Amino acid sequence: MSGHTDAPYEPVFVGKRRAELDELLTRYPTKQAALLPALWIVQEERGWLPEAGMTEVAAVLGLTAAYVKGVVTFYTMYKQHPTGTHFIQVCTTSPCLCAGADKVVDAFLEHTGCKELGLTSPDGKYTVIEVECLGACGFATPVQINLDYVENVTPEKVPTILAGLK
Amino acid sequence: MAETPMVNLTIEGLAVQVAAGTTILEAAKTAGVLIPHYCYHPSLPVAGVCRMCLVEVEKAPKLLPSCATTVAEGQVVHVYSEQALEARKGVLELLLINHPLDCPICDQSGECELQDYTFAEGRQDSRYREPKRFDPVEDFGGDVMYVGNRCILCTRCVRFMEDVHKDPVIEVQDRGDRARIGKAPDNDLTQAWAANVVDLCPVGALLSKDFLNKARAWELDRTASVCNGCSQGCNIVVETRDNVIMRYKPRANDDVNKHFMCDEGRLNYAWLNRPDRITWPQAAGAVTGWEGALASAATALKGKKAYVVVNPSLSNETLYALKQLIAKSGGAGYFSVVQGPEAPLPGVADLAVRADRAANATGAELLGFTRSASPLAKLTASDVLVLVDVQLSDADKAAAAKAAAVVVIGTALPQEIAGAAAVLPMTNYVEEDGTFTNLRGRVQRYLQAKATTGAARPAWYILSDLLSALGEKSEYFTASAAFDALAKAEPAFAGLSYDTLGLRGATIQGAQVTA
Repeated sequence: MSGHTDAPYEPVFVGKRRAELDELLTRYPTKQAALLPALWIVQEERGWLPEAGMTEVAAVLGLTAAYVKGVVTFYTMYKQHPTGTHFIQVCTTSPCLCAGADKVVDAFLEHTGCKELGLTSPDGKYTVIEVECLGACGFATPVQINLDYVENVTPEKVPTILAGLK
Repeated sequence: MAETPMVNLTIEGLAVQVAAGTTILEAAKTAGVLIPHYCYHPSLPVAGVCRMCLVEVEKAPKLLPSCATTVAEGQVVHVYSEQALEARKGVLELLLINHPLDCPICDQSGECELQDYTFAEGRQDSRYREPKRFDPVEDFGGDVMYVGNRCILCTRCVRFMEDVHKDPVIEVQDRGDRARIGKAPDNDLTQAWAANVVDLCPVGALLSKDFLNKARAWELDRTASVCNGCSQGCNIVVETRDNVIMRYKPRANDDVNKHFMCDEGRLNYAWLNRPDRITWPQAAGAVTGWEGALASAATALKGKKAYVVVNPSLSNETLYALKQLIAKSGGAGYFSVVQGPEAPLPGVADLAVRADRAANATGAELLGFTRSASPLAKLTASDVLVLVDVQLSDADKAAAAKAAAVVVIGTALPQEIAGAAAVLPMTNYVEEDGTFTNLRGRVQRYLQAKATTGAARPAWYILSDLLSALGEKSEYFTASAAFDALAKAEPAFAGLSYDTLGLRGATIQGAQVTA
């Protein structure tokens, strides 16, 4: 799948993160039940979920790596590839599309230098994807950049938005 | 124990009576109606994901999956009603949307349930005009290869590894129309029983690498047999083409191996196809006919003690004939058993690859042979050494030189036994009829699957001739007659015959049934 075999994998669940996991485990009846939050911890720490990360989660929760991978691949919000520093999700569900979301997508691709949806820009700063409804139809087109929403986006506003990103 | 209440229902107009709690699918089988299905398998937990077993039940508001619906009193089931057929036709059409329809190059072709049910109930053509999904072929490790394009996601393999093997190394990955079966890297299907997923797969998605492109299913001749790899005695089917064994498949027997067999046993057949066999009877190094070689063996044995060393995978029939030879000459019989690690299948009671890697050590012990790590240790210079289908270690060869004479009955010549008084070619176990006694005392028949090479004869037949030459009245001309003689003489085997054994076997007197 992913050809990202970079530096040797450093375990996530040590020190503070391990304590966080141990606290989590007290809230669930079984270790397996803590799988989703445990994966979130790895994704927060690493920015995405490398296969070695899935293997680590499997080891700490007593599951097999294949089972963890099955869960990761089922949910679209777990990232199976590294992304740019700014992960830009443009809503292209029907109302936004009517309001011109496709043009917003094109503008983001043009101004970030990303070759296509899902690929990271050469400077490593941006990744643009389309997503289904962000639940902000009244403010079409909404764009989610990492955890923040930007609403009423039009193609003209895109350079300003990008310039404002740190 | 309270008797299970019985339930009466009607399936396809046939009155059926089954125990309460039975599923409609199983009840239909008892009436001779096979309801099409993919995800259901009698040795796996019910999943109800494929929707292929939908049937119409009167008074039910909609079609019901027969694998997951238990019978009820007075139920009237229609398997082939217009509504049920229409629903299953729809299921098949959807299953075939991304299926490559590459039957001409698919190993499963001819034994594929997707092919069978599409022929029986599917549409003539597809209405799908869009490009099909493509998944590359993936090596799952062990003997298993995954062809994702052919997969219908019934999850039998996933449930086998999770619920029966208790080591869930494969899972459904991704979702929706992109879903496929996947494994994690470095987590291969190398478990002792993993290749059963190939048999469980109803389509050509999981294939045996060993059998890949070797033969078409319809060219194979199938013979009921028993695996001789260990003392478990899994029931198998030996599949041959043109007198060459192509593969082993497990044969269902709920008392022994359910629907399963281990990978070690499954892949342990190539030696039976060996061409370097003893083909003609020899006496003192020269090829003779049977009469000359038997006379030479009888001369060597006359008045001497027979020191018999046997392979613990010989048939009960052969071991019984050898017992007669030992009794007549006042000799002794020994065997050693190759040991290996025991590997249980966790989800099935009393099923494992056993430490004794031989099929009939129990039979050998019952018939008076002594287990010994060095079977030639007690050989003296006045003994005639009779080797039956054994290969000698270097230490054994040195010990064998002590014997007054050597008689070899075997499939392949043990090296440095050129000085044998007689060399008598015998059939290997797929070339003869016979029985093994497994570690729980279950006597099971195996049938001849291929013709032998040269002049080889079953070992019990050779021994019957040899005993006659020595003046013993021991004449049987069929394996079943040899077994009858055994059952008559040996109390443990009393009451058994090929008829009572059938193809599933029966236990000997006083056998310990389970561990």
